[in-house]
Amino acid sequence: MFNARLLFRQIRGAVRQSTVFVLCVALSVVTLVSLGSFSRSVHSSLLRDARVLHAADIILSSHSPFSPALTQAVAGAEQRHELTTARVYEFYSVVRAMDNKASLLSDLKVVAPGYPFYGSVKLASGRAFSTVLAAGSVIVEQQLLDRLHLRLGDRLRIGSTVLTIRDIVEAEPDRPVNLFALGPRIFVAAADLAALKLVGTGSRVNYSILVKVNDQQGIDRVAKELGRSAVKGRERVETYRTASSGVKRFFDNLLFFLNLIGIFTLLLAGIGIQSSLAALLQEQERTIAIMKALGAGSRFIFRHYIAVALMLGLVGTLCGLVASFLLQMLLPELFSGLLPDSVELTISGSAVAEGLILGFMVVFLFTILPIYRLRELKPRAIFGKDEQRLVRNRPVWFTAGAVLLFLLVMVVWRIREVKTGLYFVFGVCTLILVSLLCAEGIMWLLRQQQPRNLILRQALKGLFRPGNATRSTIVTLTASLAVIFSITLVEKNLDTTFVQSYPPSSPNLYFIDIQPGQKADFARLLNIDTIYYPIVRGSVIAVNGVQVDREKERQKRSDNLGREFNLTYRDQLLQDERIVAGGALFRKEWSGLQVSVLDTVLKMRDLHIGDTITFRIQGLPLSARITSIRTSSRQALQPYFYFVFPDQDLKDAPQTYFAAVRVDRQRIASLQNRIVTRFPNVTVINLTETVAIFARIMEKLSTIIRFFTLFSVIAGVLIVVSSVIATRTARIREAVFYTILGARSRFVLATFAAENLFLGLASAASALVLAQTGSWIICRFALEVPCQPFAAVSLAMVLTTTLLIIAVGLAASLSVLRAKPAVFLREQAEE
Amino acid sequence: MTKSFQYVAVLVALGCLFCGCEKQTSPAPVATQEQTPVTGTIVAVGDSLTAGYGLNEADAYPAQLEKKLRAAGYRWRVVNAGISGETSSGALSRVAWVLRLKPDIVILETGANDGLRGIDPQVTKKNIAEIVRILKEQQVTVVLAGMRMVTSMGREYTSAFAAIYPELAKQYDLILIPFFLQGVAGDPGLNQSDGLHPVAGGYRIIADMIYPYVLQAGVKK
Repeated sequence: MFNARLLFRQIRGAVRQSTVFVLCVALSVVTLVSLGSFSRSVHSSLLRDARVLHAADIILSSHSPFSPALTQAVAGAEQRHELTTARVYEFYSVVRAMDNKASLLSDLKVVAPGYPFYGSVKLASGRAFSTVLAAGSVIVEQQLLDRLHLRLGDRLRIGSTVLTIRDIVEAEPDRPVNLFALGPRIFVAAADLAALKLVGTGSRVNYSILVKVNDQQGIDRVAKELGRSAVKGRERVETYRTASSGVKRFFDNLLFFLNLIGIFTLLLAGIGIQSSLAALLQEQERTIAIMKALGAGSRFIFRHYIAVALMLGLVGTLCGLVASFLLQMLLPELFSGLLPDSVELTISGSAVAEGLILGFMVVFLFTILPIYRLRELKPRAIFGKDEQRLVRNRPVWFTAGAVLLFLLVMVVWRIREVKTGLYFVFGVCTLILVSLLCAEGIMWLLRQQQPRNLILRQALKGLFRPGNATRSTIVTLTASLAVIFSITLVEKNLDTTFVQSYPPSSPNLYFIDIQPGQKADFARLLNIDTIYYPIVRGSVIAVNGVQVDREKERQKRSDNLGREFNLTYRDQLLQDERIVAGGALFRKEWSGLQVSVLDTVLKMRDLHIGDTITFRIQGLPLSARITSIRTSSRQALQPYFYFVFPDQDLKDAPQTYFAAVRVDRQRIASLQNRIVTRFPNVTVINLTETVAIFARIMEKLSTIIRFFTLFSVIAGVLIVVSSVIATRTARIREAVFYTILGARSRFVLATFAAENLFLGLASAASALVLAQTGSWIICRFALEVPCQPFAAVSLAMVLTTTLLIIAVGLAASLSVLRAKPAVFLREQAEE
Repeated sequence: MTKSFQYVAVLVALGCLFCGCEKQTSPAPVATQEQTPVTGTIVAVGDSLTAGYGLNEADAYPAQLEKKLRAAGYRWRVVNAGISGETSSGALSRVAWVLRLKPDIVILETGANDGLRGIDPQVTKKNIAEIVRILKEQQVTVVLAGMRMVTSMGREYTSAFAAIYPELAKQYDLILIPFFLQGVAGDPGLNQSDGLHPVAGGYRIIADMIYPYVLQAGVKK
């Protein structure tokens, strides 16, 4: 079959290439296994989270008492033991402290025993929710105690009854981040509902029935049945799976992106495998030729090198698995706080099997071609006659097709969308084609250059020396750098959109409805330097004279022109805004009213500079021409305005002021009390918890994304190393000739460095162009997030990779330079 | 949203489209008001209940009231000066702007948002009193729309809240609509799914109910 001694000797002889090969395989296995187990954990915990977010399997909700039909349907199913229910009533009410008579608007939640079916209500005492919330007691948010100056054990008048505060609620499952609660939470037991006398005719209550289905397989069926009895448009029936949530969309984006990184890393690792094997084979060309000359058949050679590849592949896969296990110890640290503690991040047998199979497939797909092509190697290669081999033959196309098919299957399997898979494959093809074109273009350009400097001239000549794989090196580098750059750019964009929009310094207190006459006094009381945004309420009644149909607009599920808008006026841009069309915010030379529009509005209606929008501001129509279109980096929780007017135009219109500030947690209650006493009409919204939770989650997520991006970067470095090493033999020869001709090692080094500089700079620059285009497409169409070019980051990426290429090239040549030329020549002669 | 609901929604939208077509044979209402001479102006000051949250302006009560007046031969215009989400403090801050509309009569419907935010009824009362004072100073007849708060806010609060309107009407000798949402509040068929804001049918009832009070306020031919 094959000779084991020869095999080991060959691997030892090409230790650099073998190492790169093994690392590439290991990398692809690590990526696949860790990503696989990560997405499985996220997926299952997401579904579980979704259920916890609703505290039930099915949730029925309505703003009015449930219709008899739906009530009967629920009761019927309950009698058949199909489900268990718990009723929940949520409403605002003004509650009073018994002794000091202070009152406070609070967010009441009356819950029946059984609530919550999933997740748990966390109490400050650590006791179980169900044991604390008995008839006669309430559980409140800390805020309520602070605002009313109460303590545990104090009594609270709610509706027509008096209840005792028994505990403090720290977290509840189905109110993850309640953005705009006007007051603190109070939990009341359903047993006290009647005594409250708050729910009934004329009350405003969110009624819900939480349903736990006994047969988990039947959730959708039960939901459908109940849905048939519900009054359409008034009573909602949702399962935890169908209920839409922004969190889910975010995780979908995250998993999509991670899977994409994973598949790209696989592709990069594959390219690395191929180029390191090609380098290995190139170094051994003469050996192979000699073997052939001595009578070794093509089949023997083929089998022998397949064995080499498999051997290295096996070592790589084992390394990868060991690394995955090691990583697994790191992952919980990385994911803590993001995933529920109950999720176990263990490597499942299936993940290992998956990793092994995929690792093997990657090795096979990316090694078969270079090995197959050894058949074309003729014994006369012993004499060092380099000959151009035919590239465009059947095996090449066949392999390329197999690789694409493999990628398609991977994408479809991982992302479960054929369309995305096709886009992906189309994208990869385009990438390779464009990289090829780029390489041709670059080579043509370089060939035109006739630099005066000898070093540069030699370096250029070196790029076109026979046997130098410049074209394939540029293609490989361009394509893989383009992928890494795109991933980095997309990661940056995701980071900006989701992570940086929730900086821990985000404002946490919002003040709405500050009246113009109160502004000065309010600012004095608040004593925090902040912007007071004037708000003028108005609606859009026509665009270019065509009336806006409000009811039709409101039927759109997305934001639309049918609602009322908060208009504002100012003469300058906000810090996070910039103009995208129109040049300046407003135009001095235009007469009449002007308005600047945020680009978000363009999603509701196609608008252009010069168009006329007619607003109605409290009964008065007001037409303004669009002078500019703004965009905003839109830090979440920071105010932004769709329509901005010039200072003089709206100054006299009726308005209120809005402010958002950051206040330390400890100071909030006292500040809120002072404000409410002094300015009872001003509503204070406290988002401290929300901001803290978001900031924490987002930071975790950015770590995860960065962590997985790292894999692709490592793959890229490996490719750089292997493609530079691939040109090593040719270089050695060249260095020797230079030295013989009397060149000093500094000259040789400079020439090599310049050669790599050309190679690196050209590939990196064209990769950047591709990456910018690619990331824009991914951001805009796949992730639907705003896209920025990140000029500084881009420049840094190009420079870093160029430096890396030069450094690797020099490192690979250093040993060559230290050796005496005579040694090399003697070795050459001996061969 | 279920399929059948969407279907109904489309039908509703189509229905409105036809209404729209009918109306478009004459110029836009805004222009009509500017051009045809009117005998007097009613300004409907209020919150989302006046603005007609979620509806076309033609369906909100001011437009329906104007239509009703015109049908009866009163060439008055009714300006919808409602702002969704506005509290009585906001209404007070914009009295000057309301006066720029040169109203003969103001229908003042405010306070509901104060109530929903749990603002002390005395604050609301003081604001409305101040609005009324300024309007009366300018010889504007005020029709005050009485409001009640949802019972879930607690009896102590709701009774204090409901009391401010008759008290003010008595104190300033105003025409009082006892309850603006009389016959509409709490009826799922007359309200949008949020249970708070009336649909066009609900506003028809409101316009009918307000009509005699407006005549009482001195609408003349």
